[in-house]
Amino acid sequence: MNTVLRAEGIYKSFGVNPVLTDVSFSVEAGQVHALVGENGAGKSTLMNIIGGIHSLDKGHLYLDGQEVTFADPKDAQYKGISIVHQELSLASNMSVAQNIFIGREKVDRLGFINWKGLYEDTQALFDRLGVSLDPAILVSQLSISVQQIVEIAKALSFDSKIIIMDEPTSALSEKEVERLYTIVRALTAKGLAIIFISHKLDEVFTISNQISVMRDGQMVGTLNTTETTRNEIIQMMVGRHIGDMYPPRSSGVGEEIFSVQNFNQPPFFRDINFSLRKGEILGFAGLVGAGRTEVARAIIGADQAESGRVTLKGKIFRPHSPREAIEQGLCYLTEDRKMLGLFLNMTIRENIVASALRRFISSFGILKDDAIKEESKRYMAELEVHATNDTQTVINLSGGNQQKVLLAKWLCARPQVLIVDEPTRGVDVGAKAKIHQDLRRMAEEGIGVIVISSELPEIMGLSDRIAVFREGCITAILVGKNATQGEVMKYATQ
Amino acid sequence: MQLNKTSSPVSATQLLSHLFRRIGVGGMQQVALVFICLVLAIFMQTNYPQFLNPANREVMLVNYVTEGIMALGMTIVMITGGIDISVAGVLQFSAVVVGLLMNAGWPVPLAILGALCASALVGLINAYATITFKVHPFIVTLATLLTLRGVDLVITKGGTISGFPDSFSFIGQSSFLGVRTSLILFLVLALIIGFALKNHRYLQNAYFIGGNRRAARMSGVRVERFIIFAFMLNSFLAGIAGIVICSQLSAASVSFGQNAELRVITAVAIGGASFSGGTGTILGTTLGVIFLAMIANAFNMTGINTYWYDVVIGVMLLLAVFLGEYLKRRKISR
Repeated sequence: MNTVLRAEGIYKSFGVNPVLTDVSFSVEAGQVHALVGENGAGKSTLMNIIGGIHSLDKGHLYLDGQEVTFADPKDAQYKGISIVHQELSLASNMSVAQNIFIGREKVDRLGFINWKGLYEDTQALFDRLGVSLDPAILVSQLSISVQQIVEIAKALSFDSKIIIMDEPTSALSEKEVERLYTIVRALTAKGLAIIFISHKLDEVFTISNQISVMRDGQMVGTLNTTETTRNEIIQMMVGRHIGDMYPPRSSGVGEEIFSVQNFNQPPFFRDINFSLRKGEILGFAGLVGAGRTEVARAIIGADQAESGRVTLKGKIFRPHSPREAIEQGLCYLTEDRKMLGLFLNMTIRENIVASALRRFISSFGILKDDAIKEESKRYMAELEVHATNDTQTVINLSGGNQQKVLLAKWLCARPQVLIVDEPTRGVDVGAKAKIHQDLRRMAEEGIGVIVISSELPEIMGLSDRIAVFREGCITAILVGKNATQGEVMKYATQ
Repeated sequence: MQLNKTSSPVSATQLLSHLFRRIGVGGMQQVALVFICLVLAIFMQTNYPQFLNPANREVMLVNYVTEGIMALGMTIVMITGGIDISVAGVLQFSAVVVGLLMNAGWPVPLAILGALCASALVGLINAYATITFKVHPFIVTLATLLTLRGVDLVITKGGTISGFPDSFSFIGQSSFLGVRTSLILFLVLALIIGFALKNHRYLQNAYFIGGNRRAARMSGVRVERFIIFAFMLNSFLAGIAGIVICSQLSAASVSFGQNAELRVITAVAIGGASFSGGTGTILGTTLGVIFLAMIANAFNMTGINTYWYDVVIGVMLLLAVFLGEYLKRRKISR
């Protein structure tokens, strides 16, 4: 095999914190090399060093056998290494062609852009990728998945030898993931190496040839995908046997506390019927875009449904805003914690009590600091939020800890029904198991829990019953312990 | 793989949506603006036949030539996502400096050069302050505006500087082929900057920075350097505007260009530039300036209380912003 990239004995620290310790890593041409590990294991830092974003403290990088150093990301790109970031970095007000060739457009002697040449170059790239796309179209008119293809085309335009994809599927539907796989396979067939960072082991086992596992800033090992198992990889990631990822299902369920009947909001969803019983976790399965989030938003009054009857504890429930829903005991944990969930620049404490402030107001409208302090400390301990103290800013926490703070925020609002949307997206394995346990515990304590998730194993493992969505309708409601993945997928797709 | 539909337009609605896609949000806004200007012109012309005669046309435009020149630079600054409200201060400052230098015996071209350099220096200070201290340009340029106004007051002691050489009046008062020189100056500047903003690689950076600053930096754009360039160009153009007004009136005074920064920003915003950056064109800005000039002139001609002028402009600004937002949403929801 032909090694394109070799990293040897890489050390890196930020301030006094060592982030990478003696990491070695090599990538072969024409292969998909998956890189896995919990959040904070050092994957991103390692990739940022390989991609020229960070400098290394100690160690060597070899590209095609020659030692290299990178001044900046641009330098790395010109030498053949491109990163397709998780948060896409395109200017949406500009055309596809301009985004791909920013700073490298064909120009005349005075620096004026040769538009015809620019569009031709872009078209040639798309032909190589086998996609059909208008080079002059604005990025803002493209879906996330097509924008990602534009990023890949940009990487290709540098004659990259290695393309690093950081969580490339996190915002894609299953069909779009398939399209990405096709492109990845076409690229490796041409001899490119792909480094594929992902939290989703299913994908890693589908697409990769080799898997490298990182933990606590060290490389635990590299294995051939065909010679390993999911359990082995998980064990390497966490360094310990984690007990069952999913807590046992509920022993018994009580009376109905929440129901939705003939709920309609065309074109997003129609004729939605389901009920939720005390002590139960109800899963919403389905592909991205099947209307699950839209139903949740309409329930809490963030959007208004056209018709339908919703009852909470036997009473008609029709909030006109999320505020009214929260007051009546129905909370929704968003799938987009950075934009819609947390106040990133505020402290853990402020975030936890943000939706429950009225409980902490004394006469004269003054906030009761001591009570707030006590409450936030209690939730931090209960949900195992790892931080030095509750006055730390949320933006500095890892994804898993941010998600725990978000969960604490809604627990603090004392809901009767809690809808959680993608509760473990971008969360490491350890935090994931903890969040699953917490959701089950909340159900046991009498909160009705609805889990929306695009990760099938999560829905299967957690739910007492599963409502399967397809194109805005519920196509089946299955019993969790009897359902199979194949059955759910069948109802979600056909 | 087929990623976007390249349907051939058949019906009228399809044709419209095709047109919409071709010219984009900014284009639609400009079409609307041209339409409103035409309606206004026709209305005025039928009721006041002197509205479009050559003499009034010239007065209409010459009154707004300084705002027009300043709006060119403001467009670039606003595309990058910035704002510069010090331009009115720079205009006065430039007028005062050129007047002082000429009265001190400097030759006219040298005095002009000196004033322009001083103006550009203000832009450099603005840019440096925003970048180094990471303060929003609104605050920085507000400070510069107040400071410059004070400096001008101190220099002129609140009075007027005059008594310039005759050759200086060339810029503001002469005509070439029947068109005012200052108007030609504006048109030439607008054409050059407009063409370059659309087609020159360096100026395209404005759109990248305004669209996604982080991505621009990651792609190797020297963001800070470009912002310095944009602010310096903007101040430089405000300096030119100051010289034009000084030459038009053969005097320099602190009373020049009061609230000009608001008119300039209004023109740029009506022309389609968004406050969050990433959009805006010189064509749109020019249309915005022409629109403001027409409204002001119409008020003078009809004899309606000119206090209403600000009301109309304010409402128009809101409408323009609403229209822009509406078109953008429509596009996203499609």
